[in-house]
Amino acid sequence: MSLIRLTGITKTYNEATIPVRALDGIDLSIDKLEFTAIVGPSGSGKTTLLNIIGGLDQPTSGSIVIEGVDISGMSDSRLVDFRLRHIGFVFQAFNLIPVLTAKENVEFIMLLQNVDKAGRDRRSVELLEAVGLKDRLGSRPSELSGGQQQRVAVARALASHPSFVLADEPTANLDSQSAFSLLELMERLNRTYGMTFVFATHDARVIQRAHRVITIEDGRIKSDRSNTPG
Amino acid sequence: MIVRMSWKNVWRSKRRSAIVVAAIALGLWGGIFSAGIMEGMAEQMVNSAIERELTHVQIHREGFRDERSELMTIDDAPEVADYARRLPGVSAVTSRSIVDGLVSSPTTSQGARIEGIVPVDEQAATALKKEVVQGAYLDTAQVNGIIIGRKLAEKLAVKVRSKIVLTFQGPDGTLIYGAFRIAGLFETPSSMYDESTVYVNQRDLFGLLGRPMIHEIGIRLSSETLVSSTQGKIHARFPALEVMNWQELAPELKVTAESTAIFMNIFLGIILVALLFGITNTMLMSVLDRVREFGMLMAVGMKRRQVFVMVMVETIFLSLTGGVAGMLLGGGTIALLQKTGIDLSMFSAGLAYYGMSSYLVPTIPASTYPLLALMIVATAVLAAIYPAIKVIQLHPATAIRTYL
Repeated sequence: MSLIRLTGITKTYNEATIPVRALDGIDLSIDKLEFTAIVGPSGSGKTTLLNIIGGLDQPTSGSIVIEGVDISGMSDSRLVDFRLRHIGFVFQAFNLIPVLTAKENVEFIMLLQNVDKAGRDRRSVELLEAVGLKDRLGSRPSELSGGQQQRVAVARALASHPSFVLADEPTANLDSQSAFSLLELMERLNRTYGMTFVFATHDARVIQRAHRVITIEDGRIKSDRSNTPG
Repeated sequence: MIVRMSWKNVWRSKRRSAIVVAAIALGLWGGIFSAGIMEGMAEQMVNSAIERELTHVQIHREGFRDERSELMTIDDAPEVADYARRLPGVSAVTSRSIVDGLVSSPTTSQGARIEGIVPVDEQAATALKKEVVQGAYLDTAQVNGIIIGRKLAEKLAVKVRSKIVLTFQGPDGTLIYGAFRIAGLFETPSSMYDESTVYVNQRDLFGLLGRPMIHEIGIRLSSETLVSSTQGKIHARFPALEVMNWQELAPELKVTAESTAIFMNIFLGIILVALLFGITNTMLMSVLDRVREFGMLMAVGMKRRQVFVMVMVETIFLSLTGGVAGMLLGGGTIALLQKTGIDLSMFSAGLAYYGMSSYLVPTIPASTYPLLALMIVATAVLAAIYPAIKVIQLHPATAIRTYL
């Protein structure tokens, strides 16, 4: 059984006025342990597709099933809960909570999941150690470099024990060195933690390292190929 | 963590939060100070009336206050007074013989209420002795001594040691005349009272009336809180008599005290409503600066309800910080002025007309502060509604890609 299965997904904006079809019949299946990049030029529909896979947006038609649960048509409040328990997010602009420390940022998700204090402490330290930031537990985001902030964001994404991590342009705001080491980190997490990663990206460095590359153009899948990471 | 996060969020834009905290603090300071003056004035008016003559509890024969007939005496007055004296918390009891009459000087006459008192008892129950500003207080040894208000003395064109004649109706309907010599002049905060009341020795008045006639017994208590219990006990013991507390005797004072409290709350309410818009504006700026962050929070699994509560808590923190500062400033100012008082002597003539002293001690009931804190929280909750609704209307996918 696929981890993520999209069938006949369409998404049309401004249906009432001037309809814009952002996605046009997407059929896609992503399995566990994949390290997949969704690529395409601006306006191709990749962000819309990522939003739909992440349960942040609903398709106009078609179905999306994640771990056997059809989330298309799910109510907003159930979707929030679904996202909390099944999907980890990494954003382009890191989006850490500036008033919390690195450790508190990681803990925050578990707090929403009602994990007890001891459990939160243990897992947040373990994850920050895994992303190489054990010595920055008490640092605020403003005291961390971009690369370090994105590592905290990765640790936060993993904190909730998600089924997969969706990363939207995770390296776009990073210099080459930071981008490189972040990708290495995610590959390692993919291998050692068995975590599935799905990226939306323009970045050739990410595309190069992805195991599978899905190219979107004009709302359709133009190509879907396996990749040998280089 | 959400509470701690809210508290930290308040101080993300220190200058912006400091401005609104200062606005709240100054607004409340002004509000508390003004309310303290209003409340102080009302309290002074009530206390001065109680001290001047009213006392806390008065006893009359049923109907005396309506008919004002000197025949309506309290028959067993000594027994009633003795009983009252023995009650707990009773600090003084004064028996008064009251007749309405005419006060005449060689030049003019003026209607007045003539009160026959036992000087020692009256002095314990009211501030009369302290209010004698010229001459001396009534002396039991002096036969036919009288003290009158300074205002009345001016009207009658008399002074201390002048002779005046009192004319009033005796119990049998005949007119009684009595010549009295002015022992002293008093001046209370109420000029109207000073013009219409004179005091003589009870013994002298009984002599003119032909027999002891007590119309009123005034009871002074050590604490305001004992009023209703004392009133109840006396009424139970002497059910035929009319036993009234100061609020029933002077309902206008009760209304003044109560309406001042209401006005004070309305006044503070208006200040808070004005502050409400400032708080809303600040919170709106604050949340609009953080659209992306709220988008992220909702994307990763924070429920809209939790986000709403977070904005509420932030607003309550912001408002309470200003509120506590304002209450400390206001309370401190009131406490300081309670020691020094405020000299309003330049308005003394006008204040005297309303029975108020020209030396004002502002006061705020302690219960006002928790009420005020509640009002501030309520204001914060109201102020937070619009910004919080704006936030929860955000679409996480769009909000997360908002770059300001």
